[in-house]
Amino acid sequence: MRFRHRRAITEPQIVKDDRETVSLTCLEEGKSGVLAYAHGGCGLVRRLAEMGLTPGVKVKLLRKCPFRGPLEIEVRGTALALGYGVASKIFVKPLRTETNG
Amino acid sequence: MVKQLRIALAGNANVGKSVIFNQLTGLNQIVGNWPGKTVERAEGTLHFEGYTIRIIDLPGIYSLSTFSMEEIVSRDYIATEKPDVIINVVDASMLERNLYFTLQLLELDPPIILDLNQIDFAAKKGIKIDAEKLSLALGVPVVQTVAITGAGINELLSTVVAVANREKQLQPLKVTYGKEIEKRAQAIEKLVNAKLPQICAVYPARWIAIKLLERDEDVTGKIRNYENGKEVLEYAEKLAGELEKIHGEPSPVIIASERYSLATKIAKAVTTVETPPKISLEQKIDALTTHKVLGYPILAGVLAAMFALIFIGGNFVSAGFDYTFGILTNQTANALSPFLPKIAVDLINKGVLSGIFAGISVALPYIVPFYILLALLEDSGYLPRAAFLMDNLMHKIGLHGKAFIPIMLGYGCNVPACIGCRIMETQRERFLSAFVVVLIPCAARTVVILGLVGRFVGLHAALALYVFDLVLVFVLGRIAFKVLPGEPVGLIMEMPSYKKPSMKNILVKTWSRTRDFVFIAFPIIIAGSLAIVALDITGFTSYIVNGASPLISVWLGLPVLAGIPLIFGILRKELTLILLAELIPLESLTAVQMIVFALVTMIYIPCLATIAALKREFGWKKALAITLIDVGLALLLGGIAYRILSL
Repeated sequence: MRFRHRRAITEPQIVKDDRETVSLTCLEEGKSGVLAYAHGGCGLVRRLAEMGLTPGVKVKLLRKCPFRGPLEIEVRGTALALGYGVASKIFVKPLRTETNG
Repeated sequence: MVKQLRIALAGNANVGKSVIFNQLTGLNQIVGNWPGKTVERAEGTLHFEGYTIRIIDLPGIYSLSTFSMEEIVSRDYIATEKPDVIINVVDASMLERNLYFTLQLLELDPPIILDLNQIDFAAKKGIKIDAEKLSLALGVPVVQTVAITGAGINELLSTVVAVANREKQLQPLKVTYGKEIEKRAQAIEKLVNAKLPQICAVYPARWIAIKLLERDEDVTGKIRNYENGKEVLEYAEKLAGELEKIHGEPSPVIIASERYSLATKIAKAVTTVETPPKISLEQKIDALTTHKVLGYPILAGVLAAMFALIFIGGNFVSAGFDYTFGILTNQTANALSPFLPKIAVDLINKGVLSGIFAGISVALPYIVPFYILLALLEDSGYLPRAAFLMDNLMHKIGLHGKAFIPIMLGYGCNVPACIGCRIMETQRERFLSAFVVVLIPCAARTVVILGLVGRFVGLHAALALYVFDLVLVFVLGRIAFKVLPGEPVGLIMEMPSYKKPSMKNILVKTWSRTRDFVFIAFPIIIAGSLAIVALDITGFTSYIVNGASPLISVWLGLPVLAGIPLIFGILRKELTLILLAELIPLESLTAVQMIVFALVTMIYIPCLATIAALKREFGWKKALAITLIDVGLALLLGGIAYRILSL
């Protein structure tokens, strides 16, 4: 796996499945995941948290633009656009089907 | 006696806050800047049941931290100015995220009314909110509104009056956190209360405590100046460190998570979601306009239609204005000449009057329709989609998708485009966007390119100039991005749902923007026209032209007289073509000369009004730097183009 952790993961239920954690950019369109952590500058992580991207929240990938373009996600009932660089710093544990979220 | 009230509107972006503001104040509003900040400040007054109510529309923000100047301005206003009531506008269809902001407002402890807006839109999405339950949970009055139709606005105002008169008792929810945070927040609060009584007079001590735990730079900076500040800071730093050790996350993230879980809890308790309705028209449009392939031709089509409409309509109206103003100027000259000396008549006529007329014949025909269409794109929700689609391309010049919006504005007029750079998050991003924006050919420069090159050389040559300009923007943007220190910021942007825009809101927006434009641009256009007439009368013009002649004729290969329009074009770009035609028969120019002339006009700094806008946004030094770079670049490229094209 390319995205090995740079820092400790905190949510205990996620630690168990830590090999399953992938970057948001690897998620397929229409699939959901539970946010494990975001890394990057403190400013970015904080900004993401304020926009609702806190550890443990459910995120659904609405669409991806080709050529490392931006992504659109749904989080807490809101649609957010994220640049590829930002999205690649967010790690989620993919949910297998829609219902188990 | 007239009773006075001061209220503020606060809330997230895209919740219909400005629509509420426009419903309340109508045209009775002043848009300006917060003192010393480049943050828009909209203020208005209204009369209601014997009260004169002054309303401030705070910027639309998602949090009350220090991410942007808007956030700091908002929380400082609430804490220091202590308005009588704060109306927190929330989008009923996105209660959870909106409540995150509400909880932060509650921590600042002002009198709050919650305005549950866009309930019609929420209902369409199958979302129903129990307003009474929400009011109980938050301990503040909740009023439901549909801003676009004006439903609920009256009730909102009577609630404002009731709260201001203490007729409605509030028991605002005390936002509490988990045990670990709570213990530390209370300890810091105690210390702040004991050691920093001065700051507690302005901000609630608990708020300070939480902000210190969050490592808020602004609050830390403020406290550092106090006598006991250091001690408090060290203590708070220690506790924040402990908290991070327990949770393994940065403390702001821990606190944001807890706030969000409270917001989620409240939102869940008051919301009922009926079976998800079938895919709505808005969703279909959304899927189409952000489609990875189809989105781009749609974007190109929207922009092409927009500019075609502006230019074709604008040309028509502009010609009419020019004709009328020509007659008016002649008549004033005839009427004044028996009474005043010739110099005075010239100053009034060619200076003041033609300045005003020129301003009107450019501003009204091009700027007003441009503002209307822009407001339409904004209010419908299309602009964020355009920004989304352009994000990838904008990253190549170190910016992100949002920068596409000021760049698009630049094709209309560089003045609003420079101000539009405010949507970028950091000062670096704003400056970088402005640097790129002034290179975008505005309506006036398009008149020169099409009127000279397009008409006499051919449309293909005019088109080539545009393409060259885009390449230039790209190359220079990339260089500036590499040269300017600092890290690029990635795109994090809400994608609001498509909405039917309100005509009233669009017109009010257009009106206040046009007025803003007139205030910046007109004094400068008039002063500039006066200066030119003065130079002409005193004979200084010929000195300048003679001085510049080696540059103009040898380096650029243009007739010496072409120097006059190029120099005076700094007032208004379309003036260069008019002046050039007055001085030299346009047909006598060679194709190369026309292209060089249009190229230089296109690249050098747009006009005095743009310099003024740059100064307003970035200060003299940076405005001057951009001006000098653009003038130098225009001359350099003009000379090179002359040599290459003459081969």
